Amino acid sequence: MFTGIVPPYLLARLAQSEAPELHDAAMAAQKTLRHDEPRRARLTFSLDADHRLVAELSDAPNRTISDGHGTEALPGTPVRREGDPAVKDAAVNEAYDGLGATFALYSEVYARNSIDGKGLPLDGTVHYGTGYDNAFWNGERMVFGDGDGQVFGRFTSSFTVIGHELTHGVTQYAAGLIYKDQPGALNESISDVFGSLVEQYAKKQTVTTASWLIGEGLFTKKVKGVALRSMKAPGTAYDDPQLGKDPQPADFAHYVQTADDDGGVHINSGIPNRAFYLVAHRLGGHAWERAGRIWYDTLLSGLKPTTGFAAFGAATAAAAAARYGGSSAEVAAVRAGWSGVGVAIDGDVAA
Amino acid sequence: MATSQRDAGPDDAGGGPGSRLSILVVRSGGLAGISQQWQVEPDADAEDWIAMVQACPWGSVGRDDAARDRFTWRIEARMPPRLRTASVPESELVGPWRALVERVQEVGARG
Ligand SMILES: [Zn+2]
Repeated sequence: MFTGIVPPYLLARLAQSEAPELHDAAMAAQKTLRHDEPRRARLTFSLDADHRLVAELSDAPNRTISDGHGTEALPGTPVRREGDPAVKDAAVNEAYDGLGATFALYSEVYARNSIDGKGLPLDGTVHYGTGYDNAFWNGERMVFGDGDGQVFGRFTSSFTVIGHELTHGVTQYAAGLIYKDQPGALNESISDVFGSLVEQYAKKQTVTTASWLIGEGLFTKKVKGVALRSMKAPGTAYDDPQLGKDPQPADFAHYVQTADDDGGVHINSGIPNRAFYLVAHRLGGHAWERAGRIWYDTLLSGLKPTTGFAAFGAATAAAAAARYGGSSAEVAAVRAGWSGVGVAIDGDVAA
Repeated sequence: MATSQRDAGPDDAGGGPGSRLSILVVRSGGLAGISQQWQVEPDADAEDWIAMVQACPWGSVGRDDAARDRFTWRIEARMPPRLRTASVPESELVGPWRALVERVQEVGARG
């Protein structure tokens, strides 16, 4: 079996082939070429039981990683494009691999072709700024700092961070949740949920073997902490003399009112994060299969930009009922999850 | 981004620590959501600081609605009896804003 990215000239030749043994491959190539816009596809060849050539088409990412060279100018210089071999720069390879792992989760599990569902190129910039302690999505690309070396190391070092940033793009196209207060905290939480699932899917972890940490390993050894956030136990990721204690609440009774951080979007995301963890834990197995599917269905369900926790919770219950049935174990798990963080949905009483 | 420019109310004027020139810079947000702040209460070179504060476009801060996980900078300049505050998205932290923030970070006490 051969798997690879097929260059356009080869696709064109395949499409014109009239050899009977290449019939399937020719059809697949023609299908690829019929798309109006340039589109990457993975063409997989294998032989069936009768030794006929079988060609299968699947979506493939189109990544370009650029180097900011320590400046804040975007996009920087392209240093690794799709299909290019690994380079010497670890940050470039980490970004390339992380975007690939994120693309794989969305494509293989949820049949979504990239950020917009239509094969949008995945563009990333590494080495942004000097000692820059952050990673962000600017509406078009993912940008990663190297960290200051004292508190933070490279922001490309965790799949969860790369998945988090790419998911901001998915949410932008799918739901447009505003970035403030409860809808903003949901926006953040959705990025943490799928960021964590990228890592779990890549490592084939179960709900019990997964770390449920966001940004594990980003802190240097000098920091007393394991990660930026814990979905399983919000508020416990770090407790450091210089940074203070992880401020995330684990339930709605401890929702943090603040004007900073767009109304605490990176703080109150702990509440829906833990709701997801509770749902996944109750269902068991691989979190991306049922809990993740319910959250993905919810993201595409026509959420209003101003959706709050209770309305989002109700939407997850509706998504679970639509896919698995109203009296399913999945619906029960979703309701228990939200109840577990003190968010009442559809007249349920919060625990 | 919320921006306000107002004359000081009773809480802002008068004696006590509030009567001195002071500039507070709070960086919040970012992927990590860890806030940091810096503050200066200059006396010797107050004129220079006032010039830096006045160079900033307090009444017309741009927005950045597309960005996610970028830093937000809350800047408060207390020049009794006046308090000026602005919330500046990272992508708008350029020119006089950037100069002011970097100067506060350079000499200010970190909180
Ligand atoms: Zn985020």
